Amino acid sequence: MTRRQAGKTLAFVFVTVLALIWLVPIIMMLVVSFMPPDQRAPRFGGLLISGVSLRNYVIVFEDAEIMKHFINSAAVTIPSVALVVIISSLAAFALARLKFLARDIWFYLLIMTLMLPIPTLVVPIFQINKALGLNDNYLGLILPYTALGVPFAIVILRSFFANFPIEIEEAARLDGCTRFGIYWRIMMPVSWPAVAVVIIWQFMTSWNEFILALVTMNSVDVKPLTLVPLVYSGQFMMRPGPMFAILTLITLPVIVVYYLMQRFMVSGLTAGAVRG
Amino acid sequence: MSRNWLIDNQGLFFMAPAMILFVVFVLYPIFYIFNASMYDWDGINEATYVGLQNYSEMFTDDRVFAVSIRNSVYWTFLTIFPQMFLGFILAYILTSGVPLQNVFRIIFFMPAIVSPVVLGIVWQRIYAPFGGLLADLGREIGAMFLIQPYIADPKIAIFSTIFVNVWQWTGFSMLMYVAGLQGLSQEVLSAAEVDGAGTRQRIQYIILPMLRHVHLTLILLGVIGTLQTFALVFMLTKGGPNHASEMLPTYIFQKAFTLQSMGYASAVAVVLLLIALSASIFQVRVLGSRFTIGS
Repeated sequence: MTRRQAGKTLAFVFVTVLALIWLVPIIMMLVVSFMPPDQRAPRFGGLLISGVSLRNYVIVFEDAEIMKHFINSAAVTIPSVALVVIISSLAAFALARLKFLARDIWFYLLIMTLMLPIPTLVVPIFQINKALGLNDNYLGLILPYTALGVPFAIVILRSFFANFPIEIEEAARLDGCTRFGIYWRIMMPVSWPAVAVVIIWQFMTSWNEFILALVTMNSVDVKPLTLVPLVYSGQFMMRPGPMFAILTLITLPVIVVYYLMQRFMVSGLTAGAVRG
Repeated sequence: MSRNWLIDNQGLFFMAPAMILFVVFVLYPIFYIFNASMYDWDGINEATYVGLQNYSEMFTDDRVFAVSIRNSVYWTFLTIFPQMFLGFILAYILTSGVPLQNVFRIIFFMPAIVSPVVLGIVWQRIYAPFGGLLADLGREIGAMFLIQPYIADPKIAIFSTIFVNVWQWTGFSMLMYVAGLQGLSQEVLSAAEVDGAGTRQRIQYIILPMLRHVHLTLILLGVIGTLQTFALVFMLTKGGPNHASEMLPTYIFQKAFTLQSMGYASAVAVVLLLIALSASIFQVRVLGSRFTIGS
């Protein structure tokens, strides 16, 4: 018993030390963002600052119009999350519970998307958007983000739907429930752990997506947050304070969303494993 | 087309939005790059048909392409296995009932949700030779080996970039192993304990083999992740110095949008696509990998 206790203490010390080291870059980002503007050269990459100041955040909101970019990111991310949830759950329901023409072929084609590196699609998507007049338009990102996010969401939701007891579905059918009613009123309400995983995942990928945004959004007015460091890298080159304030503001929303929904993450990922 | 046929196939209606998006933004682009790869094209003016010339140039006379391939091999092996190793150790400890285990899980996973754009800029300041975290720390405590031209030296720039990637994604491996460990049958584990198996034996002979599907998923996702690495390299090193840390996606971007060679960039994209598809299909068909640890 004592040997096991000692092992546990050792493990605790190990993860504590490692966790502190792990956090250094994140802490650095926060600390530099609070650096007083009169401190020119931060030491230790900025871990040591001479005082705490909110001045950088003021600069960023005034000079960099950060709210505008924040709204741009939200205007791309929120519709893509909503579309992915709706489109993928409809498709996953059909793939899990209905029979139709070439069902397995469609499934394998959609799964193939997961194997594609997004950079291979950047030239054609740029040209498609150009042809449709969607460059510098939110839809020019919302549609590809949705298309590229749907397959993974289908994989998660399909296994969840497939494990739903057939007896309940049959009982609902006898009571005159349509296929759509089964999907909307029976399956979706009980599938929130899987839907939560889909929401977190799509939120993070859309919010952080970079390469498609880089080629699609040329006008500063429509650029999402991930492109902001590039826009101001010249202006803030010698001033890490405002730059790191921007980085912190980019990061905050994903941390909040993850924190609010993280308890679903492990259960959502495990759900399939336990039953499947 | 009878009414009955439509009722029997009503799944198609549920599938339609997903199918349309797939055809427009995935299937058509794939045909597009195969076609564009056979042209000399700046993206604006008339394209000239050149057959397979872009490919022959790529494989015989393109140093940057060769460097990108070599870097992808480094990246694959030096990220996937360290991440799995450390991720498993963390997951094992953080499912054994240590205090604050949920807090630790959040801390280790946190880098995975932060934009690589942000991380690239932060790590530039960690690696900077003057005023950078590692260099200043080295001077302060007299550990001179910490003062290195981490991203300025062509010989080590790619490894410095890979290190950041390992730091970022180890928490994801941990989370997958946590989910896998929680799905393991407790009866088997306690039976092994009753039979007198020690911790090491249980891990080596029971837990690791039972987590086979997690290992395979992580390798599959690791290979795909490697092949689409863009933002971290673009922000941290720009593929430099002198293309030393170039990856295929950064090379495609540079060819297409900086050098205006859309045709050549498409040819590189075709090669990347074929590598990704063959590696993934091999893993799924031969090794039985899945994209999630469930399903």
